[in-house]
Amino acid sequence: MRRSGFWAVYLLLLLAQLLLSSFFSISPYVTLSILPVMVLCISIRVGTTGAMLIAFATGLVVDYLSEGLIGLNAFALVPVAFLRNPIIGLVFGNELFARKEDFYPRRNGMWKTVLATVLAQAVFTLLYVWADGAAANPFWFDAARWAVSFVSGSLLSLICLRSLAPDTRK
Amino acid sequence: MRRRSWIPALINLAVFIALEAACVHFMFRNGELQKAWLAKGAHAVTGTFWGGVQSVTEFFSLRGTNRALAEENAALRAELERTRAMFREACIDTMKYHGASRGYEYIWAEAVRLSRNRQHNYIILNRGFEDGVKEKSGVITSCGVVGIVEAVSAHHSFAFSFMNSDISISARLGGEQGAVGPLVWDGRNSNKAVLKEIPLQYRFQPGDTVYTSGHSLLFPADIPLGVAGESRMVNGATNEIKVTLFQDFRSIRYVSIVHNKSLQEIEEGSL
Repeated sequence: MRRSGFWAVYLLLLLAQLLLSSFFSISPYVTLSILPVMVLCISIRVGTTGAMLIAFATGLVVDYLSEGLIGLNAFALVPVAFLRNPIIGLVFGNELFARKEDFYPRRNGMWKTVLATVLAQAVFTLLYVWADGAAANPFWFDAARWAVSFVSGSLLSLICLRSLAPDTRK
Repeated sequence: MRRRSWIPALINLAVFIALEAACVHFMFRNGELQKAWLAKGAHAVTGTFWGGVQSVTEFFSLRGTNRALAEENAALRAELERTRAMFREACIDTMKYHGASRGYEYIWAEAVRLSRNRQHNYIILNRGFEDGVKEKSGVITSCGVVGIVEAVSAHHSFAFSFMNSDISISARLGGEQGAVGPLVWDGRNSNKAVLKEIPLQYRFQPGDTVYTSGHSLLFPADIPLGVAGESRMVNGATNEIKVTLFQDFRSIRYVSIVHNKSLQEIEEGSL
């Protein structure tokens, strides 16, 4: 029940991301993305390989349906899935893997959950801006773009976290 | 158990690389900017890789290159000596003189062993009488005189190094009209020598170049040996001049063995 609920929320948020990418573009230089937090909240039981495949498919769907550069979202999202377990282990400790439990903001700490979300967002935004710029822009420009996208994306992700985190859906 | 724990990590890494490669492929096909960027990166990686391979290949072929250069050097010396001989004979012809200098022959060789820390140092070269090396040949490099071949076996030669208290070579200070005297090793430093018996009336400046005089039967004339330094008067009759040699005896590897073709005739007194 909980898993099916999660995937329903996941698909709804994917739809939201498509709408966000297609119709709510603040600027071509600001990337609003909730994809990292979606991948971060995939159940630990899915495993890294499964999470990477889901992230790859999610990224490609967004790329194809939102008229972006095909492969760009997938390129930035797959590393988030690859680093998902190290990030969770770093922030929450390895007990979650031993018990095969997902993290819960209320039980594992809100600030830790925020930190994990921010780290995932940082990785995603960094790779997205780097690959999208293709070394054609000066460093300061890419750095500014990353900072704005990171902050705005993180705020949006924290809002979505309430829907994705299992204990908030009870 | 430990080996098993690595397998999922390796699978994850392989899947990660495959998915990222697929993403890069998609971006390469669909983004012009990314295409140029990735192509530039690929060229840089390819260039670095092949540059590295080339450097390694060149490093391992250096020995062959050095041998080829030494061989070419010996051939050029022989050619130079022939040209000089022709020039001398052309000059002599105008004076109706029929002298005979048959010139020198050059054979390149590699020093396989040399000593530097004795009063009587030696060099062993990888050429012997089967390669045409004869006793009483000179050993030189482009930086000066190295020694004198003393004994020859089939494939090796034993030479006394110039860093030998018993060896002196005839040297000339300055240009063609310069004063001539014996040059001997100073016995202490690997690049210092003393030019003796220079007449007091001969004027020179520190920094003047010292050459082989050509009076020796072993070495051709005009091989630069070093530069003159300080001098001191000996017995109120001659000057003794310190010479800094061009040849660094610590870095000798390839040399030319030079043999005076007329040596035997001269020694037998037939000329």
